[in-house]
Amino acid sequence: MSLSPVVWASMILTIIVLPGVASVVLVKSLRSEERKLTLLKEQDQIDSYSPRALADLREWIEKHPDDPYTPVARDRYNECVETLREIEEPYYDWSEAEINQLQTIDK
Amino acid sequence: MADTEARTAREEWGSRFGFLMAMLGAMVGAGNIWRMPFTTGENGGGAFLVAYILLLYVIAVPGLMAETMIGRYTNNGVIGAFKQVFGSKRAQGLGLVVLIVNVALMSYYAPIIGWALYYAGHSILMTFTQPGFQPQAFWDGFINNPALVIGMHTATMAGLAGVLVFGIRRGIERVVKWMIPLLVVALIAVAVRGVTLPGGMDGVAFVFTPDWGYLTRGSTWVAALSQALFSTGLGWGIALTYGSYLSRYDDVPLGGGLFTAIGNTSVGLLAVFATFPVVFAFGLEPSAGSNLLFLSLAEVFPELPGGGLWALVFFVSFFFATFTSGLGITEVGVTTVSEETRLSRTKSVLAVCGVIWLLGLPSAYSSSFLGQMDFIFGSFGLPLATLSIIALVAWKFGPERARVIDLNRNAGIYIGSAWNPVIKYVIPVVMLFIIGYGVVTSLGTENQQLMILGVAIMAGLVVVSTAIMSVIGTVPEKNAESTTLANGGD
Repeated sequence: MSLSPVVWASMILTIIVLPGVASVVLVKSLRSEERKLTLLKEQDQIDSYSPRALADLREWIEKHPDDPYTPVARDRYNECVETLREIEEPYYDWSEAEINQLQTIDK
Repeated sequence: MADTEARTAREEWGSRFGFLMAMLGAMVGAGNIWRMPFTTGENGGGAFLVAYILLLYVIAVPGLMAETMIGRYTNNGVIGAFKQVFGSKRAQGLGLVVLIVNVALMSYYAPIIGWALYYAGHSILMTFTQPGFQPQAFWDGFINNPALVIGMHTATMAGLAGVLVFGIRRGIERVVKWMIPLLVVALIAVAVRGVTLPGGMDGVAFVFTPDWGYLTRGSTWVAALSQALFSTGLGWGIALTYGSYLSRYDDVPLGGGLFTAIGNTSVGLLAVFATFPVVFAFGLEPSAGSNLLFLSLAEVFPELPGGGLWALVFFVSFFFATFTSGLGITEVGVTTVSEETRLSRTKSVLAVCGVIWLLGLPSAYSSSFLGQMDFIFGSFGLPLATLSIIALVAWKFGPERARVIDLNRNAGIYIGSAWNPVIKYVIPVVMLFIIGYGVVTSLGTENQQLMILGVAIMAGLVVVSTAIMSVIGTVPEKNAESTTLANGGD
């Protein structure tokens, strides 16, 4: 039995959005772990937030100074900023200019 | 300092691959192999897949991210996570609800793993290709022999205990790292064999021919919703428990959310390819459910060239799928018991496996009891457990707080604020809808009494669990600030 074009399209689309995406995610995840391990071996620490995620974190801390989780958030923010200043190669896509503009948040 | 020591002593996954395979193995189970193919076939083929994939990406993926994240953040099992986030003794009752639902689920899932073990064993012995083999008589001879079924149930629980006693890295991870890749390869092999059979492509056409009219039916969306939520293992406590063994540098959204949900569904799709071409090539009934596996496929494998080998590949991989799920479900109890009592891991494994074995005896003895347990806990227990876990992130921790502080930390992909309303509103509403739908559709049917019993059991479970934990629960020793700092994985 030959399959109609609609069936072919439906099947191929399903394969792309399911096993296709799963395979890409698996490879991306394993490569990311490999890179993290390499950087950790070389530098002993890596940055833990991307530029966008760190900006979100800062914005949240500034908006919620009295939240019970703010001390945790602030510590994580400051740790990431200090790490970025110390390491030579960040894990995330940080530029020198972006790192220089970062400031820790005082309690 | 004590916290630091405890955290250092807590086991972590040995590798990213091990964690991903464990998550996949836990979520891929009998539901993927036998339920997804016929649910797809019954609900409009390609149209059902469209609805399913949409709901998978919109609901299941964000939900699994939330559950894995709260596990990594708290570094605790289900009761410990509730203790840490809520900080109250009574709220730990919701953690106890998740634990009890898990144990109940496993009590009737263990006998099913036993069935898979029995068929896998006989496929190795090449029983299915023996002259005069009768699938129905073989099945009846097995299922009507309580000693044999209970024996398989016992062997299953002993096997699970034998793996779990070695812990996360040397136990679960060591097993799933080869079982899951073998399962995928085996399903691909059977699928290739199936589609190359004369008439095999009819099965492919049946599944992937979109009947768009089905998208206007509510039943199609409910079926897609149930499949998207429950076959991905959202809210079972497994993602929380496995996530609690992640290290601070691990990613949550990519592996715990996206890969787990999509990878799990991909295995379901492989099962569709592996079963439907064979079903159509041999003119079998596509909506035969569990019978499709144990009766229909057992009947047709011997008719294939090299049939004994194909039966072996299929039934052993089916056993792997169910066994690795059993590991995940049972580990929820083991982690929690070892954390909340003074029992060592070995004693916790023996205690949890012993209780599940004991509670599983009625399900092993009677298939109809098993069906009733599945109705009660599948229809009402799982949504309740999912609601409890999502409530942790949605209503107590808060999705925005969770997203900015922990979810995007060391993440492989950035999660935007669109995630928040899905966690806070969509998933809880969907869970309540599923419970309500289960109630309404049972009214006036033979399941009405069972439904009333199920709702009563769940309501009683919440009341009793919160009452028990109000008495025996413990509050975190430190205040919220220092506890979250200590357990944040720093």
